[in-house]
Amino acid sequence: MVKAISKQLKGVFIGEIRQNREVQQDHFLMKVVLPASFASPYPGQFVMIKVAGLNEPFLGRPISIYSFRRKKTFCTLELLFRVVGKGTEILAGLIEGSQVEIHGPLGGCFAIYPERENIIFIAGGIGAAPLSLLAEYLCREVCLPKSAMIFYLGAQTKTAVAGLDKLSKLCYRIHVCTDDGTLGEKALVTQVFQKDLKKYAPDKTVIYACGPRAMLKALHKLLSGTRYLCQVSLEERMACGTGACMGCAAAIRDKTGKVSYQRVCSEGPVFDIQQVIWDDK
Amino acid sequence: MPQQYPHMAVEIGKLKLKNPVMTASGTFGYGEEYAEYVDLNKLGAIVVKGLSLKPRLGNPPPRIIETTGGMLNAVGLQNIGVEEFIEEKLPFLRPYDVPVIANIYGETYEEYRKVARHLNDAKGVQALEINISCPNVKKGGLSFGADAKNAAAVTRRVREETDLPVIVKLTPNVTDIAAIAVAVEKAGADALSLINTLAGMSVDVKTKSACLKNITGGLSGPAIKPVALRMVWQVLQRVSLPVIGIGGILTANDALEFLILGAKAVQVGTANFINPHATMDIIAGLRHYLKLNKIKDINNIIGSFQEGGSSC
Ligand SMILES: Cc1cc2nc3c(=O)[nH]c(=O)nc-3n(C[C@H](O)[C@H](O)[C@H](O)COP(=O)(O)OP(=O)(O)OC[C@H]3O[C@@H](n4cnc5c(N)ncnc54)[C@H](O)[C@@H]3O)c2cc1C
Ligand SMILES: Cc1cc2nc3c(=O)[nH]c(=O)nc-3n(C[C@H](O)[C@H](O)[C@H](O)COP(=O)(O)O)c2cc1C
Ligand code: FES
Repeated sequence: MVKAISKQLKGVFIGEIRQNREVQQDHFLMKVVLPASFASPYPGQFVMIKVAGLNEPFLGRPISIYSFRRKKTFCTLELLFRVVGKGTEILAGLIEGSQVEIHGPLGGCFAIYPERENIIFIAGGIGAAPLSLLAEYLCREVCLPKSAMIFYLGAQTKTAVAGLDKLSKLCYRIHVCTDDGTLGEKALVTQVFQKDLKKYAPDKTVIYACGPRAMLKALHKLLSGTRYLCQVSLEERMACGTGACMGCAAAIRDKTGKVSYQRVCSEGPVFDIQQVIWDDK
Repeated sequence: MPQQYPHMAVEIGKLKLKNPVMTASGTFGYGEEYAEYVDLNKLGAIVVKGLSLKPRLGNPPPRIIETTGGMLNAVGLQNIGVEEFIEEKLPFLRPYDVPVIANIYGETYEEYRKVARHLNDAKGVQALEINISCPNVKKGGLSFGADAKNAAAVTRRVREETDLPVIVKLTPNVTDIAAIAVAVEKAGADALSLINTLAGMSVDVKTKSACLKNITGGLSGPAIKPVALRMVWQVLQRVSLPVIGIGGILTANDALEFLILGAKAVQVGTANFINPHATMDIIAGLRHYLKLNKIKDINNIIGSFQEGGSSC
């Protein structure tokens, strides 16, 4: 008989909201205090969050970890999210002192290549959230020089550019662009990146991307046939977040060339851009 | 050692369970997904994700959508196939002191037969649960469970292949579920489990299209509990087989509703998604209820339903 795992079993933590601030129109930065037993997350990981004790909305919502700090007796977790529907609207309405159920950290993380000269981040809108934690991690834990990190941040419009203040402290250069030209260059983020592409030697570069599917698809097209290493963080609707429901499927080609539906919550959310089948929907 | 009260063990025919709380197929993976969350030894039984003869790719995304008090899923029975299950997943479960129930699915009678035969020969499976009811797949699935004759035929064929207890899982997407139950009982089932998900759909007003790529999906969660209770009650009036109640169970109180009606055990499904400890919380809650009400044996609660309706 297998004994119960002696170390603490994983679970759902009750967190208390320390701050929930609208940092930008429809964009909220939520700071949650959690017990010290919450495991330290790796960049790319996410949590499932819901209002404590409430069964409406019924399922948790997957949100990337934006920032994390560990103190002796507790830790704080920051989430940066955009209001797009019912669940995020309710989260946005929570005030300081409210309790939330936090399940995580969940999922895999970005692989890091500290020896590469060019660490490129490409984010579309709220896709900046997981990449910020990665930039922070590379800066603090891996002690990479600021000069190695270059961020391309695109959004539809000025009010959809979030997390810029934190990023500007971490990265040597930030290229901001908007579809309508209200902030930074008037262009798509993949177009801005494309102009610089020649500067980055494939074997000395690693690219991390997160954003709307259309953006990632355009990036895939741009990089296809090249030898660039590029990891993307995907989004899909989730129910369990732990690999049990098979709800969060993404079509992925494995190393043998076989295409199957993999779980974004457990095999992902980070995948190699070349392995993702981009034309499935 | 003195007998520990309350007594939580129940029997479903030959199948002996430590307590009446099992996991529902498709909501607990192959067990390992939750092994870091709950002590699997403490479960009444584990019902694994539905297994087919060959691996199944499943449906394209989006596969799930939340609805009021529940969710729709159109996973499309994605699974690794019975052979890989036996080779890759069963060895993980074998050392645990918990009955493993394999949920099986086929598109033809022959497939049901073959899957049953494979599992009968594999050590470490204590019972089979036949899914005759999945509403997601266009071929098979619905047609077997929606018709008494076909449901009985599947049961008979699986019965011929195995000495393991055979549990038939019924679909609620029928006019008279008790009639199917009667047919399946006659065909040699050892127990019944109900209900599977209710066929449903959801429309995205913004895009004016279905929220699920598959268009329709199976509804689960608290929204379906009243339907499940009604069906369990109807079935219990017509068959003498042990019945396992499923549908929208989130708490010990929900489980008690099914047990009071006469279900010998319950399965917890969607609740695992929002609370990975749900099964443990329900077991603890049942124990607490029995202690509080000075009931020494959970079997004294099972079937304690008072016919005639509430007088308050
Ligand atoms: C791993 C992961 C990390 C994420 N990290 C963040 C983050 O850091 N910040 C953030 O703002 N959002 C993040 N998301 C997206 C976030 O989960 C969804 O925006 C949220 O679940 C929407 O819930 P809702 O009830 O407000 O919207 P709904 O009312 O359910 O839907 C509104 C719209 O959002 C889309 N949507 C719903 N669920 C998802 C989903 N899981 N992924 C993508 N789109 C969805 C729907 O198609 C619809 O168009 C992440 C998603 C995943 C899978
Ligand atoms: C994501 C998901 C996958 C499921 N897969 C299966 C399956 O493979 N076989 C099966 O018999 N039932 C399957 N079911 C049905 C459940 O086992 C259960 O009967 C149903 O969800 C009702 O219970 P609940 O409300 O507690 O979830 C699935 C349900 C869900 C939500
Ligand atoms: S969300 Fe359930 S398997 Fe990924």
